[in-house]
Amino acid sequence: MRRLFWPLAMLALVVLVVAAVLWGAVPLSPKAIVAAALGHGDRETVAIVRALRLPRVALAVLVGAALGMAGGALQGSLRNALAEPYLLGVSGGAAVGAVVVVTLGLATPLLLPLGAFAGAAVAIVAAIGVARAAGGRADPRVLLMAGVVIGAFANAAIMVLLADAPADTIRGALWWMMGSVAGADWTQVAWLALYTLLGGTALLALGRDIDLLALGEESAAGLGLDAERAGRRVYLVSSLLAAATVAAAGLVGFVGLVVPHMVRAAGLRRHRPLLAGSAVLGAALVVCADLVARIAHPPADLPLGAVTALVGVPFFLIQLRRFA
Amino acid sequence: MHRAPLVTWIVAAALACGACRARDAGPAPAFADDFGDPVAQGTLEKPARIVSLSPATTDLLFAIGAGTRVVGRTHWDLWPDSARLVPDLGAGLRPNVEAVLGVHPDLVVLYASRDDRAAASQLRAAGVPVIALRTDRIADFRRTALLLGRATGERARAAICVDTVDRTLARVRAATASLPHPTVFWHVWDEPVITVGRGSFQSELLDIAGARNVYADDARPSPQVSMEDIVRRNPDLVLAGPTGAAHIRSSPAWQAVPAVRAGRIVVIDTSLVGRPSVRLGEAAVALARALHPGVLP
Repeated sequence: MRRLFWPLAMLALVVLVVAAVLWGAVPLSPKAIVAAALGHGDRETVAIVRALRLPRVALAVLVGAALGMAGGALQGSLRNALAEPYLLGVSGGAAVGAVVVVTLGLATPLLLPLGAFAGAAVAIVAAIGVARAAGGRADPRVLLMAGVVIGAFANAAIMVLLADAPADTIRGALWWMMGSVAGADWTQVAWLALYTLLGGTALLALGRDIDLLALGEESAAGLGLDAERAGRRVYLVSSLLAAATVAAAGLVGFVGLVVPHMVRAAGLRRHRPLLAGSAVLGAALVVCADLVARIAHPPADLPLGAVTALVGVPFFLIQLRRFA
Repeated sequence: MHRAPLVTWIVAAALACGACRARDAGPAPAFADDFGDPVAQGTLEKPARIVSLSPATTDLLFAIGAGTRVVGRTHWDLWPDSARLVPDLGAGLRPNVEAVLGVHPDLVVLYASRDDRAAASQLRAAGVPVIALRTDRIADFRRTALLLGRATGERARAAICVDTVDRTLARVRAATASLPHPTVFWHVWDEPVITVGRGSFQSELLDIAGARNVYADDARPSPQVSMEDIVRRNPDLVLAGPTGAAHIRSSPAWQAVPAVRAGRIVVIDTSLVGRPSVRLGEAAVALARALHPGVLP
């Protein structure tokens, strides 16, 4: 199983990426698509392939990779199999940060993720702080509850911020809170690639520390790790990754929950391979979800976050049963 | 550290993207659309494949004789009847850009809402001329009709169309000018209750048809209001579509409004008065007839 994981995961990702480029609202032959990708063919086909489908698939790959890694890192470092940016309120906090940036009229590709990151950092500090104060680090459900409630607070904050906004702003914010990669362009892809690369590299570098944190704080300390500091680093980098995806594609939940479980089930336990595997499977999952979002009800797009939640919520409930 | 070159490459690629966009200024602009974006000169050479993504511009295009050249519309563009034969491309706000490109348009007319900004730039990037238009007021109708007339090479018909609407509106205004103007609450939506404010063509239509919008002091086009405030303002009449009127009659909450208790509810065809387009004259006539029975033949 472990040996088969990498070839199978890569194969799944490649097949889904190819399918996502081939399939869309306008039927195009594979030959026309390859030609268009190289810049040949009529203007519209070239635009469909180069300016719409390719950046969309690229953005889905990056969103999935970043969320998969953030989920894997949070689950390990918090020793909580249910941890995930969306459920911990991190994505919600990021959304508030991003909405504030948008309302202030400062929404640039650089500042939007940073505003989202500020919101995400506040959310994760609050969630972990509450769980600690409740003495509930041993019970994963306390942290989850704190996160879910912070997420609800974030939703409420966004609604208040938008209370008197014009209808188009409200529609835009709603659309974004349901997650979507439909509006992808190459600039967005480049920025998210930058954030994913930096955050992903940092998490891989922290992989050993996460391995120790996963043993428990006392054992980690016994092995010479400053658990407090290492934990903080992992939370912040994971929040940055989640925030960057929120800035690019809105709220896409449950990817960070499902994917690390699948990777662990394949036998990858140490966090460097686990995080790398989560990146690959996360990318495959989001590309697949976006493909479903696109072809389920054409020409309308389903919200991407709704598709991932339809997969993720039953999975979450099954996991939750294990604690009961 | 071995990852640094890739990061550099990505940043460079992003910068290059920005640079080539800035360089690509295109031909001399002829006029600006409602996004403030220049509409290229080439658009004025009688486009043959037009996609119209708002009901108001679709019926306008048919009215000015460009209907046979419309190759795509939204799911909601059902007037005139012949528009139904045009392929349905889905939503008008946040349209499916791929579906729009799939019908090979040489002009796309969008509603100028922030929802459509991304679509407009994606279409322009694909080399398709785009005109984004905001049609919220009667003046917007005149402006967009003449602008689309220019863009489609149907100036004369567009001018006739505007002229007909203007004359009808003037006639209705003259017929109702000396009559008492009742205050009207225009019911658009329930839960939340939404009405029309000063910034809407419906408010203008009420003025023309010999009434006063009870929310004319609100500058927003479609404000959300509270039941209590409606009771406080105490309109003489409540105006609603057939479904809305039935709901108002049966709802206990609405009985708090004196006009509703007294049965002063005016029912109007909402599909006729719902868009600021070629049927504005017809809409004013229908409103005047409903508000002042017997004044217009």
